[in-house]
Amino acid sequence: MRLDGSSRARTREPAISSARTSSAPRPGAGTQRVEPVQVEISGLTKSFRNVRAVADLGFTVEPGTVTGFLGPNGAGKTTTLRMVLGLMQPDAGTATFNGRTYAELAEPLRTVGAVLETAFHPARSGRNHLRVYCRAAGFPVERADDVLAQVGLTDAGNRRAGGYSLGMRQRLALATALLGDPAVLVLDEPANGLDPEGIQWLRGFIRHLAHEQGRTVLVSSHLLSEVEQTVDRVVIVGAGQLVREGSMEQLRSGADGAGTVLVRSPEPVRLADALQADGIQVAVDGDALTVSGRTTAEIGARAFAAGVELHELRSKTSGLEEIYFQLTAGRGQFAAPSADPVAQEATR
Amino acid sequence: MMRLVRAEWTKLFTTRVWIGLLLGAVALAVLSSVILTAFAGDPEVGIPAVGTPLYEQLALAGPSNSVVLMLVLGVIGTTQEYRHRTATPTFLATPQRGRVVAAKVLAYALVAVPFALVVTAVNYAVLAVYAGARGAVPGLTGDNLRVVLTAALALVIYTVIGVGLGALIRNQVGAIVGALVYLFVIEALIRQFIGGAYKWLPGGGLEALTATFEGPDLLEAWQGGVLLLGYGLVAAVLGTLLAVRRDIV
Repeated sequence: MRLDGSSRARTREPAISSARTSSAPRPGAGTQRVEPVQVEISGLTKSFRNVRAVADLGFTVEPGTVTGFLGPNGAGKTTTLRMVLGLMQPDAGTATFNGRTYAELAEPLRTVGAVLETAFHPARSGRNHLRVYCRAAGFPVERADDVLAQVGLTDAGNRRAGGYSLGMRQRLALATALLGDPAVLVLDEPANGLDPEGIQWLRGFIRHLAHEQGRTVLVSSHLLSEVEQTVDRVVIVGAGQLVREGSMEQLRSGADGAGTVLVRSPEPVRLADALQADGIQVAVDGDALTVSGRTTAEIGARAFAAGVELHELRSKTSGLEEIYFQLTAGRGQFAAPSADPVAQEATR
Repeated sequence: MMRLVRAEWTKLFTTRVWIGLLLGAVALAVLSSVILTAFAGDPEVGIPAVGTPLYEQLALAGPSNSVVLMLVLGVIGTTQEYRHRTATPTFLATPQRGRVVAAKVLAYALVAVPFALVVTAVNYAVLAVYAGARGAVPGLTGDNLRVVLTAALALVIYTVIGVGLGALIRNQVGAIVGALVYLFVIEALIRQFIGGAYKWLPGGGLEALTATFEGPDLLEAWQGGVLLLGYGLVAAVLGTLLAVRRDIV
């Protein structure tokens, strides 16, 4: 669904003042919905010197959903988010919010809130940090107290940010993102440094922002397990390129061919020949064959037709984590050359 | 633009850097005036006696010794964004980076005015007591008044130069050390050995703006002021152009 960007972005002002005057300040209480904003990323490309960080990356992030942006360290996630937010200049491609680039947004903080850094001036208190950006964006400074309460940091508001734990920094960064009551939230590894309780809280908070309030949420992580319970859709990148985009259900079912079937037979070579004759991909290892892209039923039928004896036939439909690993292995910055020769081949 | 200027003031006054720099600026000005007064009239040192116009103008120009601290104030104003990685939220709030640099120039120029007033006032108060005790309180008329005003103006202009320099060289330590080395070593060497070029440099501009006696070949006072301001604004504009292009990582 495409929305008319030009009118949407402008009609959202009252949200802040209404949120501020509401006596029930916490997210659980608010059921107000924001104007939907769709994020559209297309053809983003960026190189540093001769290293290609992001290559022709495109996907969309829909309002009312939480989209996980996954990939190993060094896959280009942060670079992508920084290009989306106008902090880095892409070599090619665009990223728009209802049709407008970040720099074209009339009041960017009211449209997009981002958590990219957990770095603050160490001598400035959390509350004063927030007040700086209230001033810059023209929000009332009381807004700083609202968002501090929203992230559970009220008591620490007057302390120097330099003394904050990593978890508190994450909360302060999130509070900064929430200042403008934005329709879009872009969160780069927001769970880093949070304790289990904090992660639990963050999950609920993110889901609430998207599902109850209709915001567009993009959360990056290098761990699928971290966001598995939170996200509705995933965008998986490896080596700067799109590897997979779809719903969690699609990823889980392995319907896209990510699953494999293991077959054991005393005549592995004959079975492999029979399967390959039908154009099926087979890897032989001793008496075991690994077959991809076919169901156990299909393979069983072919073995039967070829008259090959089978000792084992089972689906290796792996856990989500394993699927994610298969998709991204060897595509990170620090991929060990010998770790997974097949995946290495694929990236070359 | 005004809300960005206010955001810069909030940044400045929510940490304590400004207190240290203001106290330092006052101390440096007072120290130079006290030493000058202590040795005034001493034939061996060669400083004119208390009560002479030359002594009074030198003493009243004491605040111009503090320009280096105002330069540091301006440098910190811009480079802290990179040092503490707050450039990210700052440019997220205002993607038009040129407006951020312009707001910093304006905010720091405006802040430098009361700072310069404080430095000047304290310096004069100390002089009034000390020089008064040694003979005569310097008057605030004619050339004396001009010296006081131009020294204060120099403080303001150096703050602007600092902001521009910081925008150009984003590394805080590098910008400060570089500025100090330039001011106290390179420029001093140029002044010594290439006199003709010196009058076009920031130090020559400062000297032209505040100097009262015959020194090396210098511009007119107003030309010196314009030259200084020009350095500050050129650095700010170059810094802005670079800031717009550079990626924030």
